[in-house]
Amino acid sequence: MKHFNKLSMMVAVLIVGFLLPLYGQDTATLQQEVDALKPRLSRFLLRGYAHSGFEKFEEGSSFVGGSFNPIFLWQQSDRLLFEGELEVELEDGKTRLGLEYANMSFIISKRAIVRVGQFLIPFGIFAERLHPRWINRLPSNPLGFSHGEQVGPSSALGVELRGGAPVGSGKINYSVYVINGPTLNDGSVEAEEVGQLHYDNYEDNNDNKAIGGRLGILPFSSSALELGVSAQVANVGDRGSVYENTGAQLFAVDLAFVKNIAPLKSIVDIKAQYNLTRVNRETYTVGTETFRFKNESNAYFVQGVIKPAFVSNTFLQKLELAGRYSALQMAPDAPWGAEKTQWAVSVNYWLDWRTVIKFSYQYTDSPVSEHLEAEGGSGGGGAEEEGGTPLGGAFLVHWSFGF
Amino acid sequence: MKRKTKSILFGLFVGLFAIGSLVLVSCSGSSQLVTEKTGAQLWGENCVRCHNAPSPPSFNDYQWETIALHMRVRASLTEEEVAKIVEFLKMAN
Repeated sequence: MKHFNKLSMMVAVLIVGFLLPLYGQDTATLQQEVDALKPRLSRFLLRGYAHSGFEKFEEGSSFVGGSFNPIFLWQQSDRLLFEGELEVELEDGKTRLGLEYANMSFIISKRAIVRVGQFLIPFGIFAERLHPRWINRLPSNPLGFSHGEQVGPSSALGVELRGGAPVGSGKINYSVYVINGPTLNDGSVEAEEVGQLHYDNYEDNNDNKAIGGRLGILPFSSSALELGVSAQVANVGDRGSVYENTGAQLFAVDLAFVKNIAPLKSIVDIKAQYNLTRVNRETYTVGTETFRFKNESNAYFVQGVIKPAFVSNTFLQKLELAGRYSALQMAPDAPWGAEKTQWAVSVNYWLDWRTVIKFSYQYTDSPVSEHLEAEGGSGGGGAEEEGGTPLGGAFLVHWSFGF
Repeated sequence: MKRKTKSILFGLFVGLFAIGSLVLVSCSGSSQLVTEKTGAQLWGENCVRCHNAPSPPSFNDYQWETIALHMRVRASLTEEEVAKIVEFLKMAN
């Protein structure tokens, strides 16, 4: 027996002696492999969002969407970041690829960041923060905040200085920017839009640059309330034209309140924004016709959301009720003048923190009867089709998720 | 409704809401300085200002660093807030 024990010990020592170096070798190899996977100075991250759905307007119904927006984040260092967003969607039977923004940010100091390129304009809060499909609590945009009937800018080319700082028990955030600015349609192209501002000015039409900014104040330490004011001024006419010095002034105020209300066991989320655009009064000649009108437009929305996230029932925790009222008034005396109001309600079910199914009903009305036929839309083409939101009632079911 | 009336009503709404929320938040006794808050608190309070608070396992530690830098730019979060939120997300991951 003793002899057997000695033999066993010798075998064990031999095995351990043989395996230990192998184990050390494997650990070193594994460590090398793990180190190779660690990001160094260059970090790339693909994020984004997508949506699809079904919409039933009075004129017809259709499946819509099938679009996705990849967001490319490239972090070059702790101070340098590139962000770019593409929009890939189906439009008129073709795949359309659009550039939402592409810009570079550099952290100058604790309180200052410079951003250059095409960026979302901090004109209020909707365009910059709330428009992504998985963030917007309703399937449609508020009136005046879509491409077909836009009052105020959404993205532009330029340079921006921005940042945030604690002040007392609250904090502030700020942005000042210089961009190409909006352009004025003088009627030479798309005569029916004479006097209208266009915001997709990617090659500046004059030497004047728009200057603007936003100041956000969060008076409470919980960051529950944010009040913001935005402004932008620019000359908007084409270089060398009689409208070269025509000025435009844009203003916005916004409000955001998000708080867990303990007695309701719910998160209450209220957002509001008011946009006003004003262009100096001019006389426009289109063919044999002349137009002179007060060129002022405004749009606003008030939105409320309640999410019973802290009730015991797990189904109810994932539900959310959203309601929104929005209104739009575009230069009433202009050929493109429009006035609309809209109610929208939605019951949302969250599959996880970034995936939501929205069941919504909205009713869009226009107090100006002659606009009813002119702006009726094709129906089923989507709530944000070119030409504006179709009038009447509509059911919208959308599935959106962020990734 | 006339534009001026609508503007006044909207201004009134914003003003009244600001006062109402002042009362509501004051009653909840939340007067802790932002600089004294934990990462978990800041994560819970700031992310929901735009979207649902993200689940920590949704991304790895390195990805959170890039996302935090992105949010520092996009949402104008302060440097101190971002540092604490990232620390919390890494810890909870």
